[in-house]
Amino acid sequence: MGRPRVEPPALIPAQAAGTRPLARPAALRGRRQALARTVIAYLFLAPALVLLAVFTFYPVIFGTALSLFDYNVISPPQYVGLSQFAALWQDRYFWTALRNSAIYLAVVPALQLSAIVLALWVRRPLRGITWFRVAYYVPVVTSIVVVGLMWRWLYDEAGLLNYVLLRIGLIHAPIHWLSDPGIALYSVMLVTWWKGIGYYMVIYLAGLEAIPSYYDEAAALDGAGSAARLFYVTIPLLRPSILLASTISILAALRVFEEVYVMTGGGPIFSTYTIFYYMFDQAFNSLHLGYAAAIGVVLAAITALFSALNFRLMRQGGLSYY
Amino acid sequence: MLRTLIRAAAVLAVVLAVAATTLPFPEAAHAAGPTTIELWTISLQPFFTKFITGMIDAYQRAHPDVRVRWIDVQPQALDQKLLSAIAGGVAPDVVNLNTESTLRLAEARALVDMDAAVPKDARDRYFPNIWASLRFDGHAYGLPWYVTPDVLAYNQALFRKAGLDSARPPATTDQLIRTAAVVKKKAGVYGFMPNVDGIRFLKVFQEEGLPVLSPDRKHAAFGSAAHVALLARYVDLFKHDQFPDDTLRRGYLGATERFGDGQLAMLTTGPQFLLRVRSDNPDVYKDTAVAPVPVGRGGVIDLPTMDLAVPLASRHRREAVAFALYVTNDANQLAFCKQVVIFPSTKAAAADPYFTRGGSTPEDLARLVAVKELGQARDLTVVVPHSDELYRIFREAIESAFYGKMSAGQALEWAVREWNRRL
Repeated sequence: MGRPRVEPPALIPAQAAGTRPLARPAALRGRRQALARTVIAYLFLAPALVLLAVFTFYPVIFGTALSLFDYNVISPPQYVGLSQFAALWQDRYFWTALRNSAIYLAVVPALQLSAIVLALWVRRPLRGITWFRVAYYVPVVTSIVVVGLMWRWLYDEAGLLNYVLLRIGLIHAPIHWLSDPGIALYSVMLVTWWKGIGYYMVIYLAGLEAIPSYYDEAAALDGAGSAARLFYVTIPLLRPSILLASTISILAALRVFEEVYVMTGGGPIFSTYTIFYYMFDQAFNSLHLGYAAAIGVVLAAITALFSALNFRLMRQGGLSYY
Repeated sequence: MLRTLIRAAAVLAVVLAVAATTLPFPEAAHAAGPTTIELWTISLQPFFTKFITGMIDAYQRAHPDVRVRWIDVQPQALDQKLLSAIAGGVAPDVVNLNTESTLRLAEARALVDMDAAVPKDARDRYFPNIWASLRFDGHAYGLPWYVTPDVLAYNQALFRKAGLDSARPPATTDQLIRTAAVVKKKAGVYGFMPNVDGIRFLKVFQEEGLPVLSPDRKHAAFGSAAHVALLARYVDLFKHDQFPDDTLRRGYLGATERFGDGQLAMLTTGPQFLLRVRSDNPDVYKDTAVAPVPVGRGGVIDLPTMDLAVPLASRHRREAVAFALYVTNDANQLAFCKQVVIFPSTKAAAADPYFTRGGSTPEDLARLVAVKELGQARDLTVVVPHSDELYRIFREAIESAFYGKMSAGQALEWAVREWNRRL
């Protein structure tokens, strides 16, 4: 209905029997079908696009623009150009937070390495291994507030950790895990590691499952030992998973907030004050939303830089590379 | 490629347009029907749900043209939620704040000036010193609701274990420190957790009679030898393990938890926190006695104040102020005080014989004790411009002294210098 009707070739006058009268409706129909396909495709995409537009693109654009304004939610924004970025340069708390976030990044290699080892461990066809997999994954789905409270008790001066270490004689006085400015950040990082390991283990498990077994078998036939097979076959083939997991992990480490919020509040002496925490502090405690947006822009730039670096280092590898 | 992009943009525009026409928008302010105002309180559920809903029901019956929607918010989330609501154009109409939050928001010009919005006869119902504690730049930005002077709650069993007379609790901060040392030595648990976390040392200074600002409020005044000696004293106590390592990190919440666990002999706290001890550990509650909070050389006691503020972003400011006046009127304040050990901010409510009637529970004792303290109590919150920056600096200085990064003298000297640059 509504489509141009194509007459049988026999009825077409001889002088008009070129390709054009026939081709026009066919081309039109083709174009309409293509348009319909495109519209349908975008209609399918639309819900996700709308959500992205509202919750990602708009905030990103708005946040970036906000970094050029002095804004406290209550008064109208005042354009200040790049002065907030210049202020950041001289802000000692910003540098403290940045340094702490840089140290926090050390959790990434530790987390990835242990997640790979764990994935190799739980991949083995052992009896009841599924239970182990579930056990390692439980922290991932546990609320960070619960995790924070639990670790706060474990870290307490009279907590389980100190108790065990004292009992086995490794220490002679309780360690102030969260109150010693020298180690508080590492104590929080340990919680991030503990909570995240199950998540990355699942990514690596999926990556390992995708590697056909004949690569390993061929290497074994060629006389490669288990260590050689791991380092020269499995790990290179796992690179796409490493790229994905380490990128996610870098982003998470740079944006760490909840652990700090629940366990230390950024202290003592700002030793666990991370860049994301500082952004939160400026936005909601100091009402400097423009300044917080400027911190966010810097954080986004750092994140993009680390992600690009990671892609560059890890892009080779995987099945397609061979 | 270009055509595809144009098509994509067109489709997206259509989808957004459709979405925009179907998304629910808040009701227009002039919509017909009763006016709905939103009340935000801090942590009043579940203990006081019945009381607050009863008060709201009574108001709605008397004012059929007003509906009140009540939302209870956790204290840690209040600032974020409030700012988000203001930014989103859905600000609450009446919000429960403490003095610190009120002054911070007043500095940002976010609240209704109550000196202008409330008639003089209504203003006169409140204690003038409590009303004044909510002033910034000469204007008050909240209606005082209830006040909670600290009391000393102490565990009599731990006192006995330490060989102390449980009928003679410490009356001064010097005695408190000495008693805590005895408890630590003889009972093997901590005696106290002083309120030195965050910026609370500013209050410790005042309690010991030491000023924080110069009389003209243009200079920091906490760098004197007396200030340094006071800080050094607490640093020394901390280094000698006289109070727990999480004191600076967890503040009064950590202290309340530890007291409730029977691991702390003395707790200086608002009497309302005894409710938590009662529900968490009835055995400790049974052994708990209450005494006046030990006073320092300044002879002044902090009087934390809760108030009801009306954001400028409220769409119903007039109704909101009227409702806030209702919530803080004599009858409602008195009724609230009968629910828990808090004290009214209005003169008539405070004069009720209820507050001088005795009893046997720790809460009854706390009420008797605290009402006597009201005369020497005032809100010790330090009002300064750029408070966020100054508070951050002060916190860093105090923590640096406690954790040995600087001496007490160096820390305070640095903080004074930084404050003076900004005042």
